[in-house]
Amino acid sequence: MTRRTAASAAGLGVVAGCAVAGLGGLLLAGDDSQATPRHAVLPASPRPALTVPPPTGLGDGARVAVWTSVLRSTTARARPSGDARPVARLARRTPEGTANIVLVSGRASDARRRVWVRVRLPALPNGTSGWVPRRALGAYQTSRTHLVVDRRALTATLLRDGQPVFHADVGIGRARWPTPRGRFYVRNRLTRYRSPAYGPLAFGTSARSERLTDWPAGGFVGIHGTDQPGLLPGRVSHGCIRMRNGDIVRLSRLIKAGTPLTIR
Amino acid sequence: MDFLLDDLDADGALREAGENAGISRATFLGGTIAGAVAAFAIAPTAEAAGNNDVAVLNFALVLEYMQSSFYTEAERSKALRGKAEDAAKRVGAVERAHVKAFQDLLGRKAIKRPMFNFRGTTEAQRPFLKTAVAFEDLAVAAYKGQAPRLRAKPVLAAAVAIHSVEARHAAWMRYLFGVQPAVNAFDDASPKAEVQRVVGATGFIVTRPRTTSRRRPRYTG
Repeated sequence: MTRRTAASAAGLGVVAGCAVAGLGGLLLAGDDSQATPRHAVLPASPRPALTVPPPTGLGDGARVAVWTSVLRSTTARARPSGDARPVARLARRTPEGTANIVLVSGRASDARRRVWVRVRLPALPNGTSGWVPRRALGAYQTSRTHLVVDRRALTATLLRDGQPVFHADVGIGRARWPTPRGRFYVRNRLTRYRSPAYGPLAFGTSARSERLTDWPAGGFVGIHGTDQPGLLPGRVSHGCIRMRNGDIVRLSRLIKAGTPLTIR
Repeated sequence: MDFLLDDLDADGALREAGENAGISRATFLGGTIAGAVAAFAIAPTAEAAGNNDVAVLNFALVLEYMQSSFYTEAERSKALRGKAEDAAKRVGAVERAHVKAFQDLLGRKAIKRPMFNFRGTTEAQRPFLKTAVAFEDLAVAAYKGQAPRLRAKPVLAAAVAIHSVEARHAAWMRYLFGVQPAVNAFDDASPKAEVQRVVGATGFIVTRPRTTSRRRPRYTG
């Protein structure tokens, strides 16, 4: 060590010593006991008003269905490309005047980095899917419920997060107008209409009769009440799924539009 | 006032989202999206009632709703890959925890979750990261702007604790997007009105689609 660096080190030592002494003096100044440093008497920090729970993952996997509404009329295509074959035309509104919704089943980006969304379509043949531009669709919403209609057992079961929460007898289509089998979704809910044959409320679905294609408004299959409860359970309808009025009211408290529907 | 938008949305992600959605620049800068205004409307009401901290907390809750919805939707889209996918899961879990905490604290005074249409920004890697940077920067600036207005020290302590987490998220997303995590020696706060305007201008807050009707059914019967 040279004389200069030694002197510098000694100088730094003096400065550091003074600093420690000064800090000690600050901490102890004004304390009568001379034994308790001042920082020990600083008020405690307030407890935060919030209790933030530990972060947890979604953990809902395949049990959550995602749906959205059609914001602008568009063409669903066979592939995620504007050049692909048209599959169906999607309107903004249903025949009932409600927002036209679709169930989301996939996503892709095209060569121009535009996002396309694969959706289940309310179109014949039943089960048709197509790709639509993301910008034609609205906000994504989710459903944790899933309605399952068993055509053999003539029952409807609602699952929430995979667990049954509702069960009822149903009426389905007669042999000449069968209720179609497949994977669909609830599109809308109609209430306060005057039509006793449909009961107090009705849900529209994306399922369509494959026989009654000239039925008004497209031959969509509904889930609704009835003025003939004595016929249930049975094969009694033109394809719609009928429930006793008490059951459809109970169901209406449990599901919303966007709920997936499996008819098996 | 454009500089504020540019400050908060330095990479133009929010503006780009708005313009992609067909919102003109003039409308975007004007911030006239009614949905956003509606979503924030409860806060001034609570404020007028003398409950200043409730108003501030509800304001923060709307931002937390937006962030948690954004990351949750990104995770569900399964469109992200690698570090972005991992970040979306981790940050989303934290933002959901923030939402839960605010809801628990506010109880019945908690504002309801608005509906968000993120317009495809959750469904592709680059737009996701770009928007995440803008969101996190916005949240950090918003918390900083509101913290001095809080009167109850326990609420302030909570806000500061969340603010630093949001700052970490901002740095994380900036790093993943490839921009400097920390640029300034001093970060400016952002007043509430500017945050409202930026959020409103994105068009991300939307009204719910109507899925009910009183029309007579014409189903097959």
